[in-house]
Amino acid sequence: MSKAIPEPVTRLIDALSALPGIGPKTASRLTYFLLRAPDKLSQNLSEALRDLKARTRLCSVCYNITVDDPCPICADERRDKRTIAVVEEPLDALALERTGVFQGVYHVLHGAISPVQGIGPDDLKIRELVQRAQGDVLEVIIATNPGMEGDATAMYIHRELQRKGLKLTRLARGLPTGGDLEYVDSVTLLRALQGRNLMG
Amino acid sequence: MRVEHLSLTNFRNYARLELSLPQQPLVLHGANAQGKTSLLEALYYLAAARSPYTRQDRQLIHWRTEDDPLPYARLSAEFHNRRGRHQILEMALVLENGARFKKIIRLNHAEKRVMDVVGVLSVVLFLPQDLTLVEGSPSDRRAWMDATLSQVDAAYLEALDGLEKALPQRNALLRRIAERKAKPSELSYWDEQVAQFGAILIAQRQKFLRELEYLAQQQHHALSGARETLTLRYQPSFSPSATQEGQRAFEVFGLDLHRQLEPQDIAPQYLARLQEERDESILRGVTLSGPHRDELRLLINGRDCGLYGSRGQARTTVLALKLAELAWMERALGETPLLLLDEVIAELDAQRRAYLLGQLDGRAQTLLTTTELDIFEPSFLARAQVLHIREGQIVGA
Repeated sequence: MSKAIPEPVTRLIDALSALPGIGPKTASRLTYFLLRAPDKLSQNLSEALRDLKARTRLCSVCYNITVDDPCPICADERRDKRTIAVVEEPLDALALERTGVFQGVYHVLHGAISPVQGIGPDDLKIRELVQRAQGDVLEVIIATNPGMEGDATAMYIHRELQRKGLKLTRLARGLPTGGDLEYVDSVTLLRALQGRNLMG
Repeated sequence: MRVEHLSLTNFRNYARLELSLPQQPLVLHGANAQGKTSLLEALYYLAAARSPYTRQDRQLIHWRTEDDPLPYARLSAEFHNRRGRHQILEMALVLENGARFKKIIRLNHAEKRVMDVVGVLSVVLFLPQDLTLVEGSPSDRRAWMDATLSQVDAAYLEALDGLEKALPQRNALLRRIAERKAKPSELSYWDEQVAQFGAILIAQRQKFLRELEYLAQQQHHALSGARETLTLRYQPSFSPSATQEGQRAFEVFGLDLHRQLEPQDIAPQYLARLQEERDESILRGVTLSGPHRDELRLLINGRDCGLYGSRGQARTTVLALKLAELAWMERALGETPLLLLDEVIAELDAQRRAYLLGQLDGRAQTLLTTTELDIFEPSFLARAQVLHIREGQIVGA
């Protein structure tokens, strides 16, 4: 960075460039935008940034991000505590929540098993899940991503929980709605065939 | 297969190129570093969705785009497929988030994945450095098998991709176990993945080599005046059929290519092997056996050509293998791939040159690069179209 740029400016540019999806050019553009924008905007932003970490924590039950502990979903008496959906990230819980159909509760792992990235089962909230999956719990829905890491995580959880006498399920994989069979790739079609449902 | 038109934007040293390809052999003539090879590379890229020369897509994009806010390269080919349907295959490299290049593939304007366009356009590329097929290391021969099979068989490409993701994970886990950061029981998922993908690769390589051996023998006989016999010996690092004692014998003789094994037969045996050598794998931090360690040996009259063969024998063998590759792809796909010969003609003696050019006539659409035109017979040049290339531009026919 050139000497012509004042230190507070380069500092923000560097900080923004560290974010995913933001390169040095976008970071400079955002920084100079903030310089010219009304003071209120950067005040809001800095307060929001400070509160983000200060006012949130992990729910002691499901490990989702929350302000109050337990989180609103875990605290909701209408939610079915006997069904737990296991997801990799908080955003995945949000996606399931958007379906408006799932009435159970969540368990957020905060990642997936990936030895290459040095992430093993102990780095995820799996031990917490094993402790939680007893008593009244009837079903654990494993909703990890359908990739190699998600599958590895699902297999590991399956092995840890299989002797607990619960129903263990995995999200179905298959055809997208509105899709055309002719254009579906063979792996997806094969999975859909394997996971076919009985009609009626 | 006939490619009628090739269009390049910001690819290597071509800022822009629109080229109609003739039916007859096309000779690309020019000094070094003018863009002859890049033209062949572009066709290879469209067929295989990767460059034969580099794994870094950034290098493929014209240097002049470096300061562009959104640097990109675009390649497209128009051709008729075996059913006579007009096809447009297009690949674009676009910078995503200022960091990674994203590859966008479109077939007839519809977006596709790499797996979906396997076999749509096929090429055989022949380079002077292909001599490493005989004289190089086992990894050179594995790379050749992988590249050839991946152009034809989507399931193979998928398994290769799967293994290339699962192996580093398994190896990382082996090292974590050695450092006591993980438990051996965590291996089971990765063992299964490696065994499942590996079994597909072993079965398909075996089938490929059996078919290829026959085709290569015919070519080799014709080239050597039937004085020599070429045999292929596939030595998977793990033999699916051998017993413990049989393993030693197998290491010498290779896998019997004529007893075809199916992935579902191989996978459980491979899995058992991975589990047997688990302790040693943890100690050494790598997966000890599997398709990533396979060897293919080329024998002439029973002797290893790479170790004991002469330069001439090596050249004959490579030529026979390349022509067999073309014939194999032709049979597997039901149409003849394009043949791309990069500076190869100059490396061959008159007899092999005549044989190669004789094999091509009218069969495969052929593109050749050369720095000198007088290595060709005048009768060949009379049939061919010659283009002169200078600094990424066609300067005349």
